Amino acid sequence: MRLTKIFLTVAAAVATASPAFADNMQGITDKTIKIGNMGPFSGEAAVFNPLNYGPEAYLRYINAQGGVHGRKFETVFADDACNEAKGIAAARKLIYEDKVFMLMGVPCSGVAMAIKPMLEKEGIPWVGPAANPKLTRPTVPAMFHVTYTGIESGQAMAGFAMSNPALKKIAIVEHSNDWAHGYCNPASEYIKSHGGEVLERIAMERGSTDGTTQALKIKSIGAQAVMGCLYQQELIILLRDMQKFGVTAPVIGALGADFDQTVQQVNNPAAVRDKFFQPYQFKAKIGTPALKEFEDMFTKYLTKDELPKAGPPTNFYYFGIPVAIVTVEAFKRAGASPSREKWIAAMESIKDFDTGVLADKINLSKDNHVGVQRMFAVGLDKDGKQTIYSSWGKAQN
Amino acid sequence: MLAVLPQLVVSGIATGMLYALIALSLTVGYRATTVVNFGHGEMVMAGAYALFVFAGFGLSFAPALILALGLLFLWGALTQRVFMRPIISGPHLSLAMMALAIGYAMRGGARLRWGSEVVTLTRPYSQDVFMLGPMVVTMDDLAISGFVLVLMGSLSILFYLTPVGRLVQAVFQSQRGAALVGLNVHAFHAMMWGVGAALGAAGGALLGLFLPLSPDMGVWTLVRGFAAMTLGGFGSFHGAVIGGLLLGVMEKLLGFYINTVFIDITAYLITILVLLIRPAGLFGRQTVVRI
Amino acid sequence: MAQPIVTPGPTSPTPRAPRLPRWLFWLIPLALLPLPLYLDQYRQYVVNLILVYVPVAIGFNVVIGNLGLLAFCNVAFFGIGAYTSGVLALKLGLPWWVTILPAGLMGALAGAAASVPALRGVRLFYLAIMTLAFGELLRWVYIRWVPVTGGSFGMSVPPPNVFGWVLDNEGHKYYAFLALAVITVVLTDRLLRSRFGRAFMAIKDNEQAAAAMGIPTDRYILLAFAWSGFVVGIGGSMYAALIGHITPIAFDLTELILQFAVVMVGGLGSLTGSVLGAALITTAPEFFRPFPGFLELLFGVLIVLVILFLPRGLASLLARLHPLFVDRYYRD
Repeated sequence: MRLTKIFLTVAAAVATASPAFADNMQGITDKTIKIGNMGPFSGEAAVFNPLNYGPEAYLRYINAQGGVHGRKFETVFADDACNEAKGIAAARKLIYEDKVFMLMGVPCSGVAMAIKPMLEKEGIPWVGPAANPKLTRPTVPAMFHVTYTGIESGQAMAGFAMSNPALKKIAIVEHSNDWAHGYCNPASEYIKSHGGEVLERIAMERGSTDGTTQALKIKSIGAQAVMGCLYQQELIILLRDMQKFGVTAPVIGALGADFDQTVQQVNNPAAVRDKFFQPYQFKAKIGTPALKEFEDMFTKYLTKDELPKAGPPTNFYYFGIPVAIVTVEAFKRAGASPSREKWIAAMESIKDFDTGVLADKINLSKDNHVGVQRMFAVGLDKDGKQTIYSSWGKAQN
Repeated sequence: MLAVLPQLVVSGIATGMLYALIALSLTVGYRATTVVNFGHGEMVMAGAYALFVFAGFGLSFAPALILALGLLFLWGALTQRVFMRPIISGPHLSLAMMALAIGYAMRGGARLRWGSEVVTLTRPYSQDVFMLGPMVVTMDDLAISGFVLVLMGSLSILFYLTPVGRLVQAVFQSQRGAALVGLNVHAFHAMMWGVGAALGAAGGALLGLFLPLSPDMGVWTLVRGFAAMTLGGFGSFHGAVIGGLLLGVMEKLLGFYINTVFIDITAYLITILVLLIRPAGLFGRQTVVRI
Repeated sequence: MAQPIVTPGPTSPTPRAPRLPRWLFWLIPLALLPLPLYLDQYRQYVVNLILVYVPVAIGFNVVIGNLGLLAFCNVAFFGIGAYTSGVLALKLGLPWWVTILPAGLMGALAGAAASVPALRGVRLFYLAIMTLAFGELLRWVYIRWVPVTGGSFGMSVPPPNVFGWVLDNEGHKYYAFLALAVITVVLTDRLLRSRFGRAFMAIKDNEQAAAAMGIPTDRYILLAFAWSGFVVGIGGSMYAALIGHITPIAFDLTELILQFAVVMVGGLGSLTGSVLGAALITTAPEFFRPFPGFLELLFGVLIVLVILFLPRGLASLLARLHPLFVDRYYRD
């Protein structure tokens, strides 16, 4: 009975509120800002859910500091299972039932692309780590990238290799999925337009247990460097098998693998030292004092289930957190009574903003919703010391 | 280009050994019960995780492996007894779906516990590389091949030199007949289903030696295992082994000499071609019903 | 498995019910007509998704339930339908309603192709594996045929258009989908009640006997596959219209297990069951939302329980309620 009453009151309130007003301020009360946090919490892609927990840690940290303009963030999680049909359902639930102010997260590009028309139509803001550049190019009013898309990362992969003038003939090893092509297509274009040559695009599928064919192919076509758009398991196999067959070409991996874990699991220094690199989106090494603040944030504000079962938070947590940092910054700038319009204007006003995590500063404007460009590279030097490079052989700072 | 041929063949055999083991484990269950376990991939996965758990108790490799295989034997027998037997005379579809659903649930369970962390096993040997003439062979290759050969050897002894083999043959040919002469067909089914699960688990354990574990690590097994079985002839033990080895080699050759995009579909192509052209495979008996 | 020889029983296994007229079934879609007035855009979407799975499930059921063959390639028909609709809309600029029939026909073509192994006598698990391989090969084609399918990124399909009217609201899509779902259900019902349906049942019961009695089993098998492909292809076209973004990953083995679950939980060989299964399995994840990690585990357990304790699915529960719901084209 009481439930019915509440329902009727709410329904009456919704019915009487003027639509424009309700839209602009949806999800905002005097005390709270409701945010939808969507990602793969089930299914094969669940390994990527640290990308959702990273920003959540930051929001809890901000709440602990008293929130923004007296409002605290309230997160509604929704599982998209990295599947379009389920993702649309999840997004619709967040928007029409939970009535969130905005969506955060959505690491799976396919899901992000599937919900994009709806977000555009409803004017729901989105900030997230999905790497498909088409989400924000051409610019749509309410969608922002404050982390690197496939274009920046792919160009960084190729650019790092080609900053060594000896590396011109390059092979690409990739999964046959949108994630891998999202990195390796821009990398391939960059190589071709900068005087290099893409010798061959070699497929290596998810779930591969062996990389002999790929390693021998790289050897036989005489590749001087390899772009490895592979998830962690397959990247490990490729590095190991290249070492096994004495293929010395350096490998530049994409952002689907954790650098430290990859090195550790290849379990053979010769296969990775001065040989395996990845684009690096952070300003300093994870675990160093420069990023300590964030590590503490993760361990303090995330529950045991949200943290890795063993070991410190992995790079995916750091990868996710800028999404929340920039979102919160825009709420700070949007003033005491934020609306979607004000928040978007505030996002677009962000210039030279240092997140404290990312290698580049955030620059957004009305026509540009891709916040970051410049990346570093990470690798092990000849002595096995992890180094952040600004270009080939040149350590950062 | 031909210079790498021997290497491709050797590496193909090493990969094929795993396929052979999977195909063999599927065949054991199939021969005994005439039902294919569509959830077999998860037995493989569970084998690797079981080994990880037992190794986590501080056991060394061999006892942990034995315990893991024992556990999967029990689990395999249990699934047959509890979930398959009540519906064994129902439609084949229910049997297939039941096995699939059990596997799906197991995968979900594994993901709940280990989905967000990377789990690895430690090799009980050093990670060496040998030169065999111009060919490179790793300790992993040798360990896997050796282990699979030992398993196959013991299975051959079991099936060809002991009465168990004749039991299998009897049940495979006529379950009613076997029951009439006093065989406990049900218990036999459960036992052989368990043996199949344990063999699959051994495959998972071997895989875990050189790959990080994941709840989805067994997904490939069904298709690769089937392709190997089909190629060798459904239900034939030595056919499964030879089919597995051939599949391993073919994947390498097709991938290297034609295009790497074919590696992933070699198994599908083989399955379709063999069943259309020579359904009996290399060593099997006629498998189709002509109407 | 050694199949016990089945003696075909009398053709009407259930006692004649005090006959309720079959037109009563028409009340169901009629009663559903005002639904969009009560549902928000989220709930309406879930309902639309159910309607997509109605043709998918009844098409699948024709082959695995009524015909009794282990064909695991339903996802292939589904994908073909979705891609046909998407490619025609995107590359040729055709409105969605024009693409529905071609999507169904392409599905039927795929169905005919998938029936080849069955016609060559491949049965049981061999057929299961072969058709599975067929579906996975098609998925490989979606990934590789980039100029047409958009490759792994997939393709974004424009909002569906019916007679020049753009359905950009879930409520609008609902009516189009409801109409298609009703049409596919009614046509399949007609098919199953005709001599074709009886022939399917004869083949399922005992193929040799059916052939010996002069039933041209090959022709009926081909027909069942083609019809299944046709109906599921239409479902695929609805999927493209609903989701608006088609990627190869949507047609993988996980999707196959889902479609299987719809049929098994609903009831093998039952039209009513297919509809119930579609409703239950599509909405289940929405109820499990608070516990996403448990979804796979619960889903697996649910199917196991249904097979063990309700082997004829939810449809058998309904049949217990009233003989009107008893399926007359299916027997164990």
